[in-house]
Amino acid sequence: MAADSEPESEVFEITDFTTASEWERFISKVEEVLNDWKLIGNSLGKPLEKKEDYILHDRPFKMKLNSGKEHVIKFCLKMNILIFSLLNVFVDVIPQSMQDLLCMNNDFPPRAHCLVRWYGLREFVVIAPAANHDAVLSESKCNLLLSSVSIALGNTGCQVPLFVQIHHKWRRMYVGECQGHGVRTDFEMVHLRKVPNQYTHLSGLLDIFKSKIGCPLTPLPPVSIAIRFTYVLQDWQQYFWPQQPPDIDALVGGEVGGLEFGKLPFGACEDPISELHLATTWPHLTEGIIVDNDVYSFYVGDFVTEFFKICRRKESTDEILGRSTFEEEGREIADITHALSKLTEPAPVPIHKLSVSNMVHSAKKKIRKHRGVEESPLNNDVLNTILLFLFPDAASEKPLDGSSSTDNNNPVSESEDYNLYNQFKSAPSDSLTYKLALCLCMINFYHGGLKGVAHLWQEFVLEMRFRWENNFLIPGLASGPPDLRCCLLHQKLQMLNCCIERKKARDEGRKTNTSDMYPGDAGRAGDQLGPDNLKDMDKEKGEVGKSWDSWSDSEEEFFECLSDTEEFKGNGQESNKKGGPKEMTSLKPEGRLYQHGKLTLLHNGEPLYIPVTQEPAPMTEDLLEEQSEVLAKLGTSAEGAHLRARMQSACLLSDMESFKAANPGCFLEDFVRWYSPRDYIEEEVIDEKGNMVLKGELSARMKIPSNMWVEAWETAKPIPARRQRRLFDDTREAEKVLHYLAVQKPADLARHLLPCVIHAAVLKVKEEENLENISSVKKIIKQIITHSSKVLHFPNPEDKKLEEIIHQITNVEAIIARARSLKAKFGTEKCEQEEEKEDLERFVSCLLEQPEVLVVGAGRGHAGRIIHKLFVNAHRLTESSDEAAAMAPPEEELKRMGSPEERRQNSVSDFPPPAGRELILRTTVPRPAPYSRALPQRMYSVLTKEDFRLAGAFSSDTSFF
Amino acid sequence: MDEDVLTTLKILIIGESGVGKSSLLLRFTDDTFDPELAATIGVDFKVKTISVDGNKAKLAIWDTAGQERFRTLTPSYYRGAQGVILVYDVTRRDTFVKLDNWLNELETYCTRNDIVNMLVGNKIDKENREVDRNEGLKFARKHSMLFIEASAKTCDGVQCAFEELVEKIIQTPGLWESENQNKGVKLTHREEGPGGGACGGYCSML
Repeated sequence: MAADSEPESEVFEITDFTTASEWERFISKVEEVLNDWKLIGNSLGKPLEKKEDYILHDRPFKMKLNSGKEHVIKFCLKMNILIFSLLNVFVDVIPQSMQDLLCMNNDFPPRAHCLVRWYGLREFVVIAPAANHDAVLSESKCNLLLSSVSIALGNTGCQVPLFVQIHHKWRRMYVGECQGHGVRTDFEMVHLRKVPNQYTHLSGLLDIFKSKIGCPLTPLPPVSIAIRFTYVLQDWQQYFWPQQPPDIDALVGGEVGGLEFGKLPFGACEDPISELHLATTWPHLTEGIIVDNDVYSFYVGDFVTEFFKICRRKESTDEILGRSTFEEEGREIADITHALSKLTEPAPVPIHKLSVSNMVHSAKKKIRKHRGVEESPLNNDVLNTILLFLFPDAASEKPLDGSSSTDNNNPVSESEDYNLYNQFKSAPSDSLTYKLALCLCMINFYHGGLKGVAHLWQEFVLEMRFRWENNFLIPGLASGPPDLRCCLLHQKLQMLNCCIERKKARDEGRKTNTSDMYPGDAGRAGDQLGPDNLKDMDKEKGEVGKSWDSWSDSEEEFFECLSDTEEFKGNGQESNKKGGPKEMTSLKPEGRLYQHGKLTLLHNGEPLYIPVTQEPAPMTEDLLEEQSEVLAKLGTSAEGAHLRARMQSACLLSDMESFKAANPGCFLEDFVRWYSPRDYIEEEVIDEKGNMVLKGELSARMKIPSNMWVEAWETAKPIPARRQRRLFDDTREAEKVLHYLAVQKPADLARHLLPCVIHAAVLKVKEEENLENISSVKKIIKQIITHSSKVLHFPNPEDKKLEEIIHQITNVEAIIARARSLKAKFGTEKCEQEEEKEDLERFVSCLLEQPEVLVVGAGRGHAGRIIHKLFVNAHRLTESSDEAAAMAPPEEELKRMGSPEERRQNSVSDFPPPAGRELILRTTVPRPAPYSRALPQRMYSVLTKEDFRLAGAFSSDTSFF
Repeated sequence: MDEDVLTTLKILIIGESGVGKSSLLLRFTDDTFDPELAATIGVDFKVKTISVDGNKAKLAIWDTAGQERFRTLTPSYYRGAQGVILVYDVTRRDTFVKLDNWLNELETYCTRNDIVNMLVGNKIDKENREVDRNEGLKFARKHSMLFIEASAKTCDGVQCAFEELVEKIIQTPGLWESENQNKGVKLTHREEGPGGGACGGYCSML
C-alpha cells in the first residue's frame, strides 16, 4: 500500500515534518520498517510439521525514535521469525499467524521466545523500549501505542502480528494485534503475582475463556485443552557432588606443593545441575473426557546450572585480575615500582661463586629489607614453592648449563596440542612463561589476589636481573632468537636469555683468553670477543669510514667493542687499496668455519673458506616493528632507499670482513660466489687454444660502479668476527628487557599472559573431554581454538571478544561437569544390563544436547523409573521435614478434570506437587456475531507459586459484525 | 588523497636472489625498468596506491634480499603481511626448485594462515626458458596460490599481478580491517544479554 502511492508519499513527507505529531511520525517509522523487512502481504510462514524441526531465528533490531516530549523513550523493534523446515505453503484467507493459534505442533516449545510459548506464533514483531529502564506505564500511553500499531498494520497490510511491550520489562507484558483481510486478532494479557482462587482450576479458566469469547452460539463448540505440568527436582541430597574444592591449606603445607601450580583446577565446586525439570503433557484433551493415560509422556526439561561459585574456570578470574587491576592500578603499582626502583638502583655486585638455590634466597632477603615481612602478601612457603616450580634449576646446587636447561624443557612433542601456542600466540606449554601465567593465576585466586600477583612478579623480575648479572641462563625457554609466534613477554624472556648466553660466552672467552686459550674458530666463536683494547679501539674508530661505522648498533658503547689492530694495523689499511690481495696473501688466515665445497680462490687457487660470522641480532616483535617503522620512514625516494640499504649493511660489512680474514687475498668475486652465487656468472668459452674453459664474471648489477656491495667490499678490512664490533649489544638489550619487565603493571601482565591462560584452559578442557568423550564438546573446543586464534593474533584484542572466549570455555566446562553429574545421578556406570546401560547413556547424552528429551516408555522405562525414584525420594524428604503439605490444588484439579483419580492416586501422592501448570484452551467460533466467520480463539495460562498469567488471542470478523 | 583510501595493505616480495623481485616492484611502482638495478641489501620499501573495483588501497610493499644470509632477517617482515608475492625466474630452474624452501619459511613464520600467496614466474621475455608455464601452474595449484607469469622488462603481467593480489585480499573476510558504518536509520545489530527484561531467545515457563 505504501509503495503504490509515490506522489502521495511526497506530500505525506511534507506534512510529516510540519504538522504530524510525534505519534504519527512514529507510525510512519513503523510502517517504513515493516516495509524494509518485507513483512507486507501474505505471510512467509510455512506450515510446520514437527516441533523438532524448526530453528529459531532471532534478529533483534534497534530503532531510535523520539516519542513524546516528556518521555523520551527509544523504541526498539525486534523481529522473530521462526523458519520451519517444511516448504509447502498453503494459502488461506486468514493470516498464517491466526492459524498458528490453533496449531498444536507448537505447543510447549522447549526453547522459544515467550510469545511463541504463549501464543504459538511463529513470526511476530515486537516493539519494546530500547533501554531497560524505560517502560510504557500509563494506560493512555499503552492505548496510544496499540492504536498506532493498529494504524500501521492497516496502512501497510502487514499480516505479521505486531506486539508492544508494556509495563516494566521483567513483567514481560505484551499487547498486540494481527490483521488480515476482514479479520483481526487481539492479543491481550493478564499478569498477577498471585493466582486468584477461582482460576486455580480448569473450570474457572474455562469460564473466563468462554466469557472472553462471548460466543453467541449455543451449544458452544468444543474447547480443546492441552495441559503440561512441570515438576522440578532440586533436592539431590542422596547424591554427593564428588568434587571437593581444592584444599588451599594443604597446598601451603607443602605436601601437595608445586603440582597445584602447574595445573588448572577443573570442574564445579558445587553440583552443576541444580534442577531437573520433568514435564508431563496431555497434548490434546477435550473437556470432560480424560484420555486414558497410556499416552502420557515425560519430558525432561532444561537443566538450570547453578552459578559456579569459587571453582570457576581460572581464566575468568584472570579477566577479573585484568580488570580489577585497572582500578587499583594507581595505588598498587606505585607501590611496586617504588620498591623495584629502590631495589634496582644500586647495581648489585655480581657474586660469582653462588649456587642457584642461594640466589633465590638472597633475592628474597633483598625484598625483606625493603618491606616488612608481615606485609608481604605471599607467604614464604607459597613463594618458595612457586619459585622452585618456575626455576627447577634452583633446587640443584649446580648452576645451569645452557644446554641442559633448554633441552630438558623441550620434549620433542610435535603433537597438535603442543603446537597450540602457535594459534593462541601464547607460549609452549612447558615454557617458563606458560608456567608463570598459571602461577599468577593461582596466586590471584588463592593467595592474596592482586597483591600476591604483584609480589610474585616483583620476585620474578628480581630473579631475572639476578640471572643476567650472574650469567645463569633462564630455564624453560627454547634457545635461539625470540620466537615471534609466541607472546611478547615470552619473546622478551627469550631475548634476555640470548643476552645472557652471549655475555656468558664472552665472559668465559675472556677468562680462557687470559690463559691464552682462544676458543677462536670453533662453534660460536663469533660471539666471543677478545680482550679489551680500548686504546686501539679509539684509533680504529678514526680509521674506519665513518659512514659505515655509524650504522652499527653499538656506537655508544665502543668500550665494549673489541678489535685488535695490532697485527693488522698496517695490512688493514692496505687492503683498502685495489690490488691489495698481493700483500694480503702473506697474512695468517683467521676465523675460518669450514671449507666451502670445491670452490677455490680465483687468484691463487687456495680453497675458499666460509668464515665464522656474527649472528644477526635477535629481535622481539616490538623491536622489529620499531625498526621497520624507521626503515619505512625513510620514504621511497632514491636517497631513502640508499640510506635504508646503508642502515642494513652493517651485517654485510661484518660478513665481508670475516670473509677477508678467513681468505687472505680474496676478491669480491670470491665473496660473491659464497654469498650470492647467482651474481657470479660463469660461461663456457673456447680459449685461444681451442679448449673449453669456464669463464666467470660478476653479474651486471654487481659491476655497477660504486654500488653498495663494491663500496662495502672496499671498506671492509680483514677482521675475524670475534674481533669485530658487536652487531648486537647484549648489555644494552638486556637492560632494555629488564626495564621493560620492571615497568609492567599487573594489568599489563595479565594482558600479556592471558593467551597462555586461555591456552591452558583449553588444554584442560580438552583433557577432561577426552575422559568423557562428548562429541558436541569436541566440536565446540575446535571452534574455540579457531576463534581464539583469530582474536589473539590482533595486537590489542577487545575485552569483549576475550570475555566471549572465556565464556565459551566456561560453557564447555559446564557441559562436561553436567555430563558427569548426570552420569552419577542416573548411575550409568552402575547399570548392569548392557542394553539398559546403552539406553541410559544415550538418554544422558541427549539431555546434554537437547533442551527436552522424551522419556521413552514414560514411567515404566528404565530412565523413567530412575527419574520417578529421584522425585519420590526428594518428595519424601521435604514431606518429612516440612509437615505443611504446601500445595493441594493439583489433586483437586485432577479430580475436576476427570475420572481416573484412583489410578493416579498413587503416583500423585508420592510425587511432589508440580512447580508450574500450563494450559492452552482453544476453539474456533464466530465472533462477534453468530453470522460472523468462525475464527480461532486461544487462551494460554500458566500458574506457578508466585506468577499467574493469562495470554489470550481473540479473533473477530471485521467485515460482518 | 588519503581520505578515500579503503585500507593499507602490507605486501611482501620474496624469492631467490636475482629473480627480479626489485625489478617487478620498480616496474609496478614507477613503471620503469633498469637492467642494472643494484642487489637489494636487507629489505627495501615502496608505497603505491591502487584502485581495484573502485576500492582504493594503499600498498606498502616490502622488497627483500634473496641471499641466504639476509634470509635470517626477512622472516620478521612476514609479520602482519596480508599478501606475499613469491617470485622465481623462468630461465633458472634452481630458483623454481627452491620455492619449497620459501613456502616452508612462510608457513613457519607467518603469523596468520589466511594470508594470500601469489606465485610469479618472472623474465618471460627471455628466450632460454627452463621452467614451463604448466609447472608453475601446477605448483601454484598444489599450494593454493595465485599464479601469473610476468616480465618486468616488457611490463607483461606486472600490473595484473598486483591488482589480482589486492583484489583477493580485499575479498578475504577478516584479512583487512574496516569499520562498516550503518547509514540512515540506525538498525544496530544488538545482542540482548540474559535478564534484559524482554525475552531473549529462550524463556522457560517458570
